[in-house]
Amino acid sequence: MASPASRSRLSWPRRARPAIAWAAATLALAAPLPSHEPGIPRFFDGHPDLNGIWQAIGTAHWNLEDHPAAAGHPDLGAIGAVPPGQGVVVGGEIPYAAAARERQEANFKDRMTADPEAKCFLPGVPRATYLPYPFQIIQGDSKIMIVYGFAEANRTIHMDKENPEPPPIDSWMGRSHGRWDGDTLVVLAEGFNGQAWLDRAGNYASAALRVEERYTPLGRNALQYEATLTDPTVFERPWTIRMPLYRRLEPNVRVLEFKCVEFAEDLMYGHLRRRPTR
Amino acid sequence: MCTIRWPGLILLAALASVGTSAGADLHHVQITAASPTEAVRWYERHLDCEPVTGQKDTAVCNGIRLIFVSQPTMGSTQGTGVNHIAFSYPDVTAKMAELEAVGVRGSGVRLQRFDDGSTHRPMPGLNRHGFLFDPWGTRIELVEDIELLGFHHLHLSASDPQSTLRWYQAAFGGQSEDFPGGVSGVQFGSGWLLASSHSGSQPAPTSSRAIAHIAFEMPSLDRSAEGLREVGVDMLGAPAVPANARSAAKRVFANGPDNVTVAVVEPGFAGVDAAEATGDGAFDGNAVAEAYTTPRTPWGEPDLQGIWTGNAAHGIPLERPAALVGVEALTAEQAAARRERGTLGSIWGYEREWRDTTLGYDKMTPSTQVAMIFDPPDGRLPPLTEAGERRAREARLERERRTSQPPAGPEDLTPYVRCITKGVPGMMIPGIYNNGLQIVQGPEFVAIHKEMVHEARVIPTTPRERVGPNLRTWLGDPQGRWDGESLVVESNRFNGRSPFRGSSAEMTLTERFTRVGPSRLLYEFTVDDPTVWVRPWSARFAFDLDEDQYELVEYACHEGNYGMFNILSGARARDREAAEAGR
Repeated sequence: MASPASRSRLSWPRRARPAIAWAAATLALAAPLPSHEPGIPRFFDGHPDLNGIWQAIGTAHWNLEDHPAAAGHPDLGAIGAVPPGQGVVVGGEIPYAAAARERQEANFKDRMTADPEAKCFLPGVPRATYLPYPFQIIQGDSKIMIVYGFAEANRTIHMDKENPEPPPIDSWMGRSHGRWDGDTLVVLAEGFNGQAWLDRAGNYASAALRVEERYTPLGRNALQYEATLTDPTVFERPWTIRMPLYRRLEPNVRVLEFKCVEFAEDLMYGHLRRRPTR
Repeated sequence: MCTIRWPGLILLAALASVGTSAGADLHHVQITAASPTEAVRWYERHLDCEPVTGQKDTAVCNGIRLIFVSQPTMGSTQGTGVNHIAFSYPDVTAKMAELEAVGVRGSGVRLQRFDDGSTHRPMPGLNRHGFLFDPWGTRIELVEDIELLGFHHLHLSASDPQSTLRWYQAAFGGQSEDFPGGVSGVQFGSGWLLASSHSGSQPAPTSSRAIAHIAFEMPSLDRSAEGLREVGVDMLGAPAVPANARSAAKRVFANGPDNVTVAVVEPGFAGVDAAEATGDGAFDGNAVAEAYTTPRTPWGEPDLQGIWTGNAAHGIPLERPAALVGVEALTAEQAAARRERGTLGSIWGYEREWRDTTLGYDKMTPSTQVAMIFDPPDGRLPPLTEAGERRAREARLERERRTSQPPAGPEDLTPYVRCITKGVPGMMIPGIYNNGLQIVQGPEFVAIHKEMVHEARVIPTTPRERVGPNLRTWLGDPQGRWDGESLVVESNRFNGRSPFRGSSAEMTLTERFTRVGPSRLLYEFTVDDPTVWVRPWSARFAFDLDEDQYELVEYACHEGNYGMFNILSGARARDREAAEAGR
């Protein structure tokens, strides 16, 4: 015999929800939408559809600032060399407070062992975006998840929190809340642990970092990515990086698994092997 | 069955004639709790309720009864149509300080702090208020109303508060009054019934949640039921004395607005002796699920999204123990003991520090499922093939080699200890902690994010070309599809380095995710690995919705793997000792 409770479920119009959602979607699509750029794929709710696999192209992962070509690890020859690149910092240089620039320079000196990327640590935000790996955006009705190619990193962007709770603990990837500003997805990320770097040149921020990211479609196959970093303990003023993100167009492309822990173990534990390698 | 829908025109018309049922009052609140006796003690100790002689599952709080029923808890009150119950104290500040001092350990008290970290704050009309949770997920408000101390109100979360309150008033009478602070309310003899707007879509059904139903008392139910029907109340069957009732009082259930189950009882109703079936018919690991129509995403796919937890399933063995041949399900006590054993055996200090802070176990009644494997029907892994025997022998020798001496390097430890992965289906099987599972869907893709060890699997649900046979990975190449209400994921192209019970790189893993109730996600998997076993085998268990969870914890495993450093430096110390001894 069905319990009263199960009967109660059956007697209620379970399908009302999707029907209402569809009705809302239909209304949204029927209503005129703000700033309709042609060629931007649209989601059911009329906002841009960012679903897909994207990747930054450039050398921001080496250094956010202007950088000439430079030697890398000598064992790797030209393969390990740093390619030259034009900076992505709007206005030129990162506005470090004086002592903070020294710390960046010290990071740079120690980069072969100290860079969290070398250790296969979670990359943080915004670094995850422009590492030389693809990432996939899974955009749903209340959450957006970004799954990054590097180190199994991922983050959830809460689109459904009107009054976000402050993050209870610091983390590598922080906590992200999003909203739409016209066709731009605006994400505020905070609650970082301050251990992530911004690039392979030792640029960094502290746990006080707040990142406001803006993802704006530039047609179907590119996004303009902007991230404004505010961290009064490290920077004199907020500053912004800007670069396009490109859609990966290969028909069968995936964000392939890159579990890099085992590639970092020798660096981290080589001195503790029975036959030490470091 | 009555076909009236809420809000229906007939009902609205009926609401015009009020006062059919004057004299009714709030009677009880049915709360789902793992241990009713412990729950009675908790409410006695912390909220000044009184136990009832001869009824170990009932506490009386200032005229209203709380009846506790041992059932798997499917989640807290939040999100349902009954948001919380409230108690009034002359000094909320002092009471909150007292409760804060209790702490959360054991069957403790969880305060729900406001954004600024405070436990209570001023409230218009009622001086101060604050919120807490009982250990079983019932949200409780404390208010300061000297005119009504003790049990104070039931707070509904309604799509349309005014029309919800009109429904209750039409059915049960009561005085309609504006409650301080602009909240709408109806006053009954035992307390208030308040209603606020539900944020989001429809409230979730109360059945099997922390507050499973609320009950009103009416005289002579056979006659009263007629009146209820007349005002359009959707009754579920006829009034009857429940099986194992402690009194001759009759009871009937009704569908209230906002998916709230409402019971109506005759005076003197004193609960029932055995746990009765008030569950939502959802899969409990022991029976086949009743059909449930999964809500759809706006783009039309079954909606499995949410934060789920495997905590209730922790401790279910993969294989049926020999001592439990023929047993259909464990008793609740056996299940609790099994999980307790598993956890106590796994975590140092669990009893003191971990119990319900990190684990959140007290929220989840342990599953009574005997074993995960349901095919073969004996619940045991099928026999190994000849090659499988050989693999198992080699694996055993390799394990012996690795454990017979201190590890030479990280490679001598398991991929899990190295924080690489637990593999699939290994990562899905609940462990001692961090059993969170998050599902986010977009059109044609489902992301399955497992808390341990922060692995996100992206499943395509439309066919695509497989990766080439040389592109092997830890988690394989997944291909999903929707099969009715279920998400089915088939994975192959494994690297074979994180075997599950001896599986090889040639395994084909088929997983099936089915929502079998609003708060329950059935997970079934079939391992087909002809190089290892003579036939495929299948297992299952369920995840529960964990609505209190804002998001999964970032399980940054490798980043904080001090264990690896310590294991290896300890191993080198052992090496040195051995060298000294041999000198």
